[in-house]
Amino acid sequence: MSHIRIDVEGLTFGYEKGKEILSGISFHAAESESVGIIGENGVGKSTLLKLLAGLCPEYTGSVRIEDIPVEKSTLSRIRSRIGYVFQDADSQLFMNTVYEDVAFAPRNYGLPEKEVERRVEQALKMTGAEHLKEKQIYRMSGGEKKLVSIASVLSMTPDILLLDEPSGALDPKNRRNLIRILNGFDHLKLIASHDLDLILETCERAVLLHGGRIVKDGPAEELLTDGKLLEECGLELPLCLQGRRTYKMH
Amino acid sequence: MRGIDGAIYEIHGMDALAARKQWMNEVHPLVKLLLTLGYIVSVVSFSRYDVIGLTGMAVYPLAGFLLAELSLREGCRRLRVVLPIVCLMGLPDLFLDRQPVLFLGLQVNAGLFSMLTLVEKGIFAVFASYLLIATTSLDKLCYALRLLHVPKVLVTQFMLTYRYITVLLEEAERMTQAYALRANGQKGIRFKVWGSLTGLLLLRGMDRAENVYEAMLLRGYEGDYGYLREKLPFRFGDILYFLFWAALITAFSIWPLLPLVGDLIGRIWI
Repeated sequence: MSHIRIDVEGLTFGYEKGKEILSGISFHAAESESVGIIGENGVGKSTLLKLLAGLCPEYTGSVRIEDIPVEKSTLSRIRSRIGYVFQDADSQLFMNTVYEDVAFAPRNYGLPEKEVERRVEQALKMTGAEHLKEKQIYRMSGGEKKLVSIASVLSMTPDILLLDEPSGALDPKNRRNLIRILNGFDHLKLIASHDLDLILETCERAVLLHGGRIVKDGPAEELLTDGKLLEECGLELPLCLQGRRTYKMH
Repeated sequence: MRGIDGAIYEIHGMDALAARKQWMNEVHPLVKLLLTLGYIVSVVSFSRYDVIGLTGMAVYPLAGFLLAELSLREGCRRLRVVLPIVCLMGLPDLFLDRQPVLFLGLQVNAGLFSMLTLVEKGIFAVFASYLLIATTSLDKLCYALRLLHVPKVLVTQFMLTYRYITVLLEEAERMTQAYALRANGQKGIRFKVWGSLTGLLLLRGMDRAENVYEAMLLRGYEGDYGYLREKLPFRFGDILYFLFWAALITAFSIWPLLPLVGDLIGRIWI
């Protein structure tokens, strides 16, 4: 078990001066917690994850990963502990074959080829994508790309997993597989998504963002069953709690 | 619109060829790079009237195609851009170089020979380059360039440019497809929207490129591709392959081997 923690204190950030996307964000997460970051479109979920990974280093406030402040001089230390899965798998995968892409990080960290191979095998096995090992990325479906993009960060054996809309482009079977993978990852993970059903199944805690601020931070089950609050923040109850009728075959 | 599709497919197709488990692909990249460079220099330095001597140089790309199990038709398709340009460049010779020459009992202009050698040089250079990139992945090619002490900055630029071409093409494809789907019955893209489309393509391309770069940074990229650090040892077969072809290319460029062989065959038959 890792001793990794994330401490965010008074974080304010905007891409343009005077137009803040996130304002005064404070939260802490530690050890094996699984935290869902939820909110409507454009509320800053992805930006928050990018800030944690040091992709937007000009912010005000404090962001610390295991007591290391996220700033230019510490980026390489921090990034070696973080696995970031992008919303768009096409942006994440840039090598020709699955093997090369999953091996990209271990090779960059200077691991011997044998260890690289072992890590690739392991990461692909964890995501159930072993059969794609030799496949060319441009010939894969959206769901396959998503699985491989998760494998490409798992091969780094990160302490923290940041996932941006991980269930996008996945069919029900692969989505179920993703939930299994996420629940099997026992380190700290932050999942930004508006797939509230996924959050409900994978996170014990949720942070609700609205208007650039944290509206509520608490147990996922409690937060995701508060229909009134979700509606106020531009969201709806998870589908599984909406009591929708299902069609039965007779 | 089919053009962008085709270009993306062709780039990925080349990657697929280079990734094959074929023995030509396993030859050390430096050996293949040096042979290709040497071959092109030899071909280009042939006399402008030596059509027969130059024809002998076809042995390297043709044997390469056979050994690497590459399609000659695909190789010829690569000529479609270069060949018209070469022909256009050689055309003035036909009219300006009017020195009479006797060939097979016929009197022809020397310009015809200089044009033919130019075309041959173009074809052979394209074939040799195709042979190299169809059997060598970009990573290995960059590795070979680094072994030749080409500056790291240049090699990285070369590699990233190649990667980003696909990103840019993919964005262009998405945009043109979106346009085509809402411009029923229209042929091509209307001139009026070219400006905005190009601007948007640039912005979207930059955006995608930034995302790709961020993905690389987050996986430990610090200006050096992992593969370049991997050492590829020279095998005995690589050295033999190099020596054999280097000797043959040199022999064909120094001695008129093809006419000699022709003479020999002629004498035997007659």
